[in-house]
Amino acid sequence: MYSEPSTSQPTIGLSGSGALSHVYIQYPNIRCNIPDLKGLFYDDGNKLLLSPTSNEVWSWKVVPFDPNVAPSSDPISEGPVLSIRYSLDAKILAIQRSDHEIQLWNKETGETFSQKCRPESESILGFFWTDCPTCDIVFVKTSGLDLFTYDSELKSLRLVESKRMIVTWYIYTHESRLVLLASGLQCKSFAGFQLSSAGIVRLPKFEMVMAKSEANSKPVLAAEDVRIITVYGRIYCLQVDRVAMLLHSYRFYRDAIVPQGSLPIYSSKIGVSVVDNVLLVHQVDAKVVILYDLFSDSSAPISAPLPLLLRAYPRAKTLSFRLPDNDNVSSEVTKEANDQEPVLYGDGWTFLVPDLICDSANGLLWKINLDLEAISASSSEAPSVIEFLQRRKLEAKKAKQLCLAITRTIMLEHRPVSVVARVMDILITAYSRAIKTDTYLKGMKPEKSFASSAPQVSSPTFDADESSKRVGLRGKSVSEFASGVAPVNQSSRFSGSDSEERASFEPPKDNSSEIHLVGGAVGKDILIGAETPYEKVQQSQFPVSSSIALDANISEQPESSITSAAISPDEIYRFVFAPVDEEMAGDPAYLVSIIVEFLRSANMERIAVYPNLYVLTAQLLARSQRYAELGLFIINKIIEPSKEVAYQLIESGRQNLPTRKLGMDMLRQLSLHDDYILSLALDGYYLEALKYVRKHKVNSIRPSLFLEAACSSNNPQHLAAVLRFFSDFIPGFKNTSDHTAYCQILAEMNASVAAA
Amino acid sequence: MPLLLERGSSTRYEAACRKYFAVLFSTKILSTTGGEFRRRWQSSSWYRIERDNGELRTNQESVDYDLQRIILFGSSKSVEHKGSGYLGVFSVCESAIIKKEKMGLSSTITTSCYAVKMCVFDLRRGQQEGQELDKILFFYPPDLSFSSQLSVIGLSEGLITFTRIFSPEAACEVIEAERHSHVFYQAESDIWMVMVVEKNRELEAIWRIEALRSVLKEIHSLFVMFNGSLRTALDAEPSGELLRSNLYTFITDYLCDFFAGKKLQLPSFRDSLRERGTVQALTIGREAAIEVQSLVRALESCAGNTQCQSLVLFHDLLVSTTLSPDDTVNLFTYAVLRMTPRALSSGASSWSNLHKGSSAIQVPPSYTTVPTTSSTASGQLYASRDTSLSSDSSRYLIGRPLQQGKWSKSGDGFLVADTSGADMQCLNSSAVTVFLQQSHERMFLCAHQHKNLTVIVLLPVVSINNVEQGISLVKQQILENASLKILKIEEKLSKGWGGENAYHVSGYRYLLLDGDRSVSRASPPAKVKTLAKESLAAMCKVREEVDLEKSRAKWEDEGHEKDLEVCIRAKNNAWVIARVTRGKELYMVLEKANETLLYASDATEKFSNRYCNGSFSLN
Repeated sequence: MYSEPSTSQPTIGLSGSGALSHVYIQYPNIRCNIPDLKGLFYDDGNKLLLSPTSNEVWSWKVVPFDPNVAPSSDPISEGPVLSIRYSLDAKILAIQRSDHEIQLWNKETGETFSQKCRPESESILGFFWTDCPTCDIVFVKTSGLDLFTYDSELKSLRLVESKRMIVTWYIYTHESRLVLLASGLQCKSFAGFQLSSAGIVRLPKFEMVMAKSEANSKPVLAAEDVRIITVYGRIYCLQVDRVAMLLHSYRFYRDAIVPQGSLPIYSSKIGVSVVDNVLLVHQVDAKVVILYDLFSDSSAPISAPLPLLLRAYPRAKTLSFRLPDNDNVSSEVTKEANDQEPVLYGDGWTFLVPDLICDSANGLLWKINLDLEAISASSSEAPSVIEFLQRRKLEAKKAKQLCLAITRTIMLEHRPVSVVARVMDILITAYSRAIKTDTYLKGMKPEKSFASSAPQVSSPTFDADESSKRVGLRGKSVSEFASGVAPVNQSSRFSGSDSEERASFEPPKDNSSEIHLVGGAVGKDILIGAETPYEKVQQSQFPVSSSIALDANISEQPESSITSAAISPDEIYRFVFAPVDEEMAGDPAYLVSIIVEFLRSANMERIAVYPNLYVLTAQLLARSQRYAELGLFIINKIIEPSKEVAYQLIESGRQNLPTRKLGMDMLRQLSLHDDYILSLALDGYYLEALKYVRKHKVNSIRPSLFLEAACSSNNPQHLAAVLRFFSDFIPGFKNTSDHTAYCQILAEMNASVAAA
Repeated sequence: MPLLLERGSSTRYEAACRKYFAVLFSTKILSTTGGEFRRRWQSSSWYRIERDNGELRTNQESVDYDLQRIILFGSSKSVEHKGSGYLGVFSVCESAIIKKEKMGLSSTITTSCYAVKMCVFDLRRGQQEGQELDKILFFYPPDLSFSSQLSVIGLSEGLITFTRIFSPEAACEVIEAERHSHVFYQAESDIWMVMVVEKNRELEAIWRIEALRSVLKEIHSLFVMFNGSLRTALDAEPSGELLRSNLYTFITDYLCDFFAGKKLQLPSFRDSLRERGTVQALTIGREAAIEVQSLVRALESCAGNTQCQSLVLFHDLLVSTTLSPDDTVNLFTYAVLRMTPRALSSGASSWSNLHKGSSAIQVPPSYTTVPTTSSTASGQLYASRDTSLSSDSSRYLIGRPLQQGKWSKSGDGFLVADTSGADMQCLNSSAVTVFLQQSHERMFLCAHQHKNLTVIVLLPVVSINNVEQGISLVKQQILENASLKILKIEEKLSKGWGGENAYHVSGYRYLLLDGDRSVSRASPPAKVKTLAKESLAAMCKVREEVDLEKSRAKWEDEGHEKDLEVCIRAKNNAWVIARVTRGKELYMVLEKANETLLYASDATEKFSNRYCNGSFSLN
């Protein structure tokens, strides 16, 4: 096996990333190295690449994408194979043998039987397995759909329902659970059904638009011209109009099909893939890819058309790295790889849903990847890039780091505040959405339960439904984070209402090990922080984690645990504001205006900001001598009160008394009695402090502090007052050494006064 | 406690008194006797001051008889501590003024009808005999004869010189005579402002000295904001003519606001729940505050790389400022006087009134000659100094910043200064500039108003080369970058705006002062009006006491603010309460309240907890 952890998450920036390309396929790929390769079939229900030979069927698991995956095989009987699919529980193999016959083979019992149709009136176009509660397998025939349940006892399929209509051809994808049935002379009338775990939804009939080249010519729509894609959980249908050279898109709603406009195409042959919710339109003839992000409903491409890149392909004669265990196969690989370099957009390429390319001629399977770095580098418009990156889930960690880096850069470059503000807004909105989807999905959970019945749920598939479940997981991990922080907040009397609310979510379930992992990591985080003493607040129990500890922690986290590019306010502080402040010490005003915009966004989304950012704001304002504004920030609670902020104000107030007072007032308002009394006493207001002690019955004070202060003021009256106070206030004070010592000092003082 | 010593009642010194006080009060006019007086003064043979048991006393034996009538009272302790002596209040017997008026300074018949006199003078000028007039920089009423003016100034100067013996840094603060109070304010070194107010037998003539002094302070700081300091102006132009004419128009414009009919109405006891020289702020929620800050940042960046300052007002209340407290107070005061929507609308109406009763600001013949004759000379002066930046103050003189109806709103929302009255030799008549005390920088003032939201942006003069172009560029930037935010904020603030009586707390009539930030909040004037005369008079007294106590504490132990609490029951059974804690002050009147002290104290506590974050609830 390779020493690299996984090639499905390739480390970008190794070889060939200098080439102009936003999309790449990575070598090594999956190879179907079996003798006598007859053809490749893709079972998208189970994410298997199947290759039947004369007496067995080989299958490669393509998700997760591992080029070294060993194929498994099942024996099959001889005969033609028109199509082949495993049932969703992988127990039954169904093979379409002819137009009229589908053979089913039970893997466990080894039993075989066939289901046939009337050959004279109808023929079978195809079939697929479904997780619909009412049926298990659906036959698509020229006369309509037949829905069957599989009865293992009777070893037969039982017809549940038939949908009668004329079908010329059909398309189906498992990720959308949608079957589109084409009919009519031009094959542009469509009927559709969605057979999901929630039941069967019949879509209204609709017609696709086709341009005519001449008045009387009637082009016929072919099956390969229509594609179903799933982007952000929405289902679209793309239709190639060869005459108009347009790619029409339609979006499916429960009760309507709405045209979404058209994209231009520059090639008569078009391939469509979806990688991480980004639509890739391969202009096969021109050998370039155009990227679209359909999220914003804009039909503008993300970037200019650029070729697909083949990465890490060993063009050198020798393959230095270790080869797969199977010697036979590996030698073949070497030979083949050296013999012929794969041709990009070769004739044998078929684009599998969603992000695979199958080179059936050579038995190769490629996975398409996005080069996020290249995409983000290609645009200088930071907000739109960040927006794009925030929506990426497949390489969430990379997207997140890119986002942080871009944000840092634009701030260091002093881009206009409005631009940075927009970026902050996007980041905060994304974070808030990440939190909210958590609760939102909880309510929908029963509906989505089909996913758990599928065998490969835990694998990072790119199925629409499953991806949305991943959102849930990610959201939960975020809520875990919040709940980990909540008690800390309370201890500092930071308004903890939001975090409490988030903390009250149900505890993570046992089967989601991922969540535990994240939660654990955060827990560790806080512990580390607690050990790090806060520079200025020595008695503070609030953990302010040093960035070094957290950095280390992040890298320790397993890659899979970051499932969203969402960035929490705390991370923005640690990875953006703090480093930027360090680097550009010269311009606090600029940073303050960005923090204001950041706070505005956070406030709009009701997201709590941690005190460290407020401390920074106070520092910046004090550093630039803008005490009046600092006062406004405090009084209007733009800087929310907390112990850290209070101490920062007291610190900054060395040059500005009103600011110092604001800090002390904040301590008082936070009811941090001890701190307040201490700061009062240190400022020489010890009598006032004692008044406060009496009023709030603070028991933890040290008499010596006040006695010393009174003593140093050289005022016998004050000293006497303080002594008297403690005699009354603390039972048994008269017996302490302090009492006797200071009584003596007082006597001396009085004597000296009398003498003078 | 200040101790008012018994006022000399004997009439046997009357005749002598007249003479000597005349000497004392107009040393410079009657030069012969004056010279003698001064000599004697300095040799201390006339007065010997002794310290006996810490009490400051005049030595009766060796001191001439008329000194009995100079009564000193102040803190004996501070005399000891400070060594140089301290005079809190300096009181001179009433006869002084009467004498002075009778002493052949004949044409003073009209004087008595002026209840208020006000003057600005420079002690460094007019030292030569016969040039005494040169001292006077401003005198109100302007039509008072020079000799009467000089007598007022002579008295003031005499007292200042006398009291400086004891307290060089803070000389005379006030003279309480039988029928007049003289309020002193040292605006700049050796430049003094004195206000003489007539005491009437009526109750109405009860005032707080500090309140009167704050009027003087306000005049001075506003003048300095627009024209730079008086001393600089005098140094730049030794003749002082320009400064005189500036002061004249400026102060008369200022005083216009105090006219009720033909009478000047100065702050009286009725205003004891108000504080001049402070800012009234609008309380806004966090969300609105963040929006406002966002606007402030947007404004800041409007002039490219140069840092602008800004001030945002809603109605007559401050929303945000980037200026230091002092500058904020000045600009805020000015904005409320002349620029806020209310000021704009009232200015327009009172402008016409002024035309009708224009006597108040008619330039008296004695003065009209001064500026006009000098205008050509000073014109040359400017022409020659144009290139140098040292004549900063004169270069950016604007016509009459305090003129009623100075500002009007233009179509694009910006406020435009009326320059028709600017007959001065100002180069950039269309651009108003102000001088900031903290940064010592001169700034262009640019104001935008949307409904009730007034946004004032200050641009450093040095950063703009071409005034017309530069400012219109900034205006355009503001429209582009900030107008949407201004719109949003106005809407938000208007929604949350509680109206005139927003800060009324039923049952309480209060004044809340934050000295550190120069911010005050008070019951709305309409509500204060409902209080009985007695309550307000009592409050006035209490405040007077607190003022005294505060200034004493300042002398005794600077940097250590004392807590203070006064709670009295007035004649009409109202509770009058004052609390001072670490720079914050709370004054309140509770009428129709329960008669126990506990009740009053509870009420204060409640108020403090609810509206002052518990600042005043220490006990």
